[in-house]
Amino acid sequence: MGLRLLRKILVPFAALVLAAAIATIAMGHTHSTTAASTPSMSPEAMQLASLASQTTKGQLAEGYQLFAAHCSFCHGTRADGTTGIAPNLQGLGAGTVDLWLSTGWMPLKTPSAQPENKVPSFSPSQIRAIAMWVASLRPGGVPLAPKLDLKSASLSTGFSLFTLNCAPCHTITGAGDALADGYHAPPLHGISAAQVWEAVRSGPQNMPIFGDRNITPSQLEDIVRYVTQKIEHPQNPGGLGLGGVGPVAEGFLGLFAGVGACLAAAYWVGDRTEREEEEDPHGHGTDHGPEGPETAPEGAHA
Amino acid sequence: MIDSLYRWVDDRLNISGGTRKLLNKIFPDHWSFMLGEIALYSFVILVLTGIFLSLYFVPSQKDVIYHGSYLPLDGTHMSEAYASTINLSFSVRTGLLMRQMHHWAANIFVGSIVVHMCRIFFTGGFRRPREFNWIIGVNLLILAIFNGFLGYSLPDDLVSGTGIRIAFSILEALPIVGSYLATFLFGGNYPGTAIIPRFFILHVLILPAIIAALIGAHLGLLVKQKHTQFAGNGATERNVVGSPMWPIFIAKTNGFLFLVAGVTAALGAAVQINPIWQYGPYVPYHVSYAVQPDWYMGWLDGALRVMPSWEIVFPGHMIPNAFFPGILLPGITFTLLMMWPMLEARIRNDTLEHQILEEPRNNPWRTSIGAAVLSFYFVLFGASATDVLANYLQVSLNTVLITFRVLCILVPLIVGPVTYKICLELQHQHRPTKTKRHNIVMRSAEGGYSTIEVQARPGDERTILPPIPVDAMILVNDDGEPILADGGPVTVGAGAGPGAGSGRGNGSRGLFRIPRSYR
Ligand code: HEC
Ligand code: HEC
Ligand code: HEM
Repeated sequence: MGLRLLRKILVPFAALVLAAAIATIAMGHTHSTTAASTPSMSPEAMQLASLASQTTKGQLAEGYQLFAAHCSFCHGTRADGTTGIAPNLQGLGAGTVDLWLSTGWMPLKTPSAQPENKVPSFSPSQIRAIAMWVASLRPGGVPLAPKLDLKSASLSTGFSLFTLNCAPCHTITGAGDALADGYHAPPLHGISAAQVWEAVRSGPQNMPIFGDRNITPSQLEDIVRYVTQKIEHPQNPGGLGLGGVGPVAEGFLGLFAGVGACLAAAYWVGDRTEREEEEDPHGHGTDHGPEGPETAPEGAHA
Repeated sequence: MIDSLYRWVDDRLNISGGTRKLLNKIFPDHWSFMLGEIALYSFVILVLTGIFLSLYFVPSQKDVIYHGSYLPLDGTHMSEAYASTINLSFSVRTGLLMRQMHHWAANIFVGSIVVHMCRIFFTGGFRRPREFNWIIGVNLLILAIFNGFLGYSLPDDLVSGTGIRIAFSILEALPIVGSYLATFLFGGNYPGTAIIPRFFILHVLILPAIIAALIGAHLGLLVKQKHTQFAGNGATERNVVGSPMWPIFIAKTNGFLFLVAGVTAALGAAVQINPIWQYGPYVPYHVSYAVQPDWYMGWLDGALRVMPSWEIVFPGHMIPNAFFPGILLPGITFTLLMMWPMLEARIRNDTLEHQILEEPRNNPWRTSIGAAVLSFYFVLFGASATDVLANYLQVSLNTVLITFRVLCILVPLIVGPVTYKICLELQHQHRPTKTKRHNIVMRSAEGGYSTIEVQARPGDERTILPPIPVDAMILVNDDGEPILADGGPVTVGAGAGPGAGSGRGNGSRGLFRIPRSYR
């Protein structure tokens, strides 16, 4: 009986020690790996930025052809929206067009379709060609994202500006959320530095436009650095991040996995004696002196 | 060694009498009796991890500038409370694990209290003489929820700060006394500088002390009044069947403590909870969209969301909208919960003492009411995620809100009757159908028929046979005939004295099986 008793305590204890050991190892591991991360731009963004300085006649021609083939049906041959089914693009600037094409929002299949994030239909150089051609029609609007100096940008200023300007819609973790009346602020994952820059300046759809006076160029670099580094690659030293949606996901997990596992444990431990009796009918009554007389009063219930 | 130490202590303090009695306390063997222990052990874990946290946590709202290992906050203004929680997470060895274990344990603590309570409710364990322990239990639930809210607020991050803000306006919504009470509790206007220190003392000292005292009273009453038990295994209203505290129950329950601790440690190590460094410090004019509280406050948050924006104006006084979901709902909830044993006894006119638990199916009314009410709160909890759901399903937030308004009325209305029907089906018993009345049919001279009701002939009366309970174990003698105990209970088991048992009993289990008398 002593052995069985020992087993009852030791098995769960061993489990606990194991869990704790795994815990410490896991925590130490994540601690060391998340500390260092370097600022970086996506390759496309770099390419676009470097191409921006050199527009050629040939590119404008390529842009015109691509636009005529893929966009003019809706936006009109001079991108002026005269068809009435899609907005005027003149004066919006190359940055706006670049954002809408590099996110895959354009071209739409039908005029009533909703723009969605998907793989862009054009290569970076084609996108640039279309953007430059549209921008050449009328000056103004949002230029292509400049080459951003993210190394010297401040993460903490970026964090605080993000909290102030962007968290009210995109949530503090950038997980995105449903706003009132069917509008959604999309999650800020998997986007390039140039896209963040262009989105802030051009304010697509229901997002406000933040001009130079709202957010200065250097502040915008801070924000872009925070978004591309800490929002897109959140530091999760504590384990699984649960998508950054917060206490609701944690609550469901706590209830179903946490309490659920405890219930399973209760079931396992609680019905134990019953089964042991079957294994060993003549039990262990002997090595432990019978305490019958003392238990007897339990039987007599008042 | 231990033996002699024990004798030494016993010689001086004479503890063995009481201890002996306690060690022989009988615990029922059904697993659902372990549910309360999940709560007990998660409280133990909360206290242990909480003590660790209080060594490093600084309960102060003094403004400091952070210079630490989390770069996005470098050089940022924040309260000392927030800064110390960040340090706890990044610079203190095992600090983050302790924080996460503490928080997961809090979620499990309240969750297990609710599950435990459901067990008591659906089996009628609260009936006389245990109404008092039920009331203690409800108070434990309230205190646990409240302490969880206080702890959640301590790190002073953006998300929890928004929660305090909401709590402040709910308090203000109390008619007449609201704004005074709010300024009194928060030590001035919101946000002030007194909240965190006050919450801290409440959270680590006062409420845990009250909770510990109530748990003591709860368990003391349990020992005094003894456990309830399910029928079967020979359990009756007049006995106790199960394993004694020593050694079986002690072994089980210790193993169980390790298991609960293991679950908490595993969650704390593998799944991140409340990553406050991603939320940033609380700044009153900063907001994040969609902040939710922990799940045990979630139903209140959900209620705030689904509540249509009515504002009721009494002459000279307007009741703010937050009053209904924020104060009236929990007020009614917990009052009804506390009063339930008395209400039910009154409604069913039941003044008897009950030691035998009911199978939930055998009390369809209570079971279906309980299920309906539970589903109502579950829908409200779901409603605290309206925005997350709308985003996930890519539908309009308003659609989701209106859906939840409908659901929180519709779901209980469906769950109730369905549960009722299921209970009846599970009972496998035909309820008495229409019975024939004893009539004489007369035919008049004109050919019309009429009936006269008469007394039944002797032996022909309507009788309803009481269901005869069948023992899980019927004792038989050597010839295989049942031993019927007319003269008194037959007690079996090695502990029950010589001669009584047939050697089938098991001493250390101390199982007492007393056959019912057959009518
Ligand atoms: C099927 C019709 C259709 C096609 C093809 C199409 N668009 Fe669009 N475009 C739209 C509509 C409709 C909108 C307005 C979307 C909205 O606001 O929801 C739009 C919006 C835009 C905008 C944003 C305008 C603003 O006001 O911010 C840009 C830029 C754009 N389109 C560029 C393009 C380019 C470049 C192409 C070709 C590659 C293209 N579109 C192809 C229908 C179309
Ligand atoms: C009023 C709410 C609102 C605010 C404030 C806001 N956004 Fe947005 N944002 C939106 C919406 C809505 C969209 C989706 C536009 C679309 O689908 O065309 C969006 C889209 C974006 C995108 C493109 C995402 C993608 O999927 O490609 C980026 C990047 C972005 N926002 C960044 C920011 C940043 C950075 C800030 C803070 C400076 C900010 N937003 C502030 C509402 C907002
Ligand atoms: C009734 C049981 C308790 C519950 C439900 C509870 C719940 C919580 C919660 C949810 C938090 C937030 C943790 C986080 O930041 O993610 C917290 C924080 C904290 N708790 Fe508790 N707690 C309880 C008991 C205790 C006890 C007994 C102590 C101390 C002896 C304690 C000390 C602390 C401290 C110092 C913090 C702040 C540090 C931090 O946020 O990480 N708690 N508590």
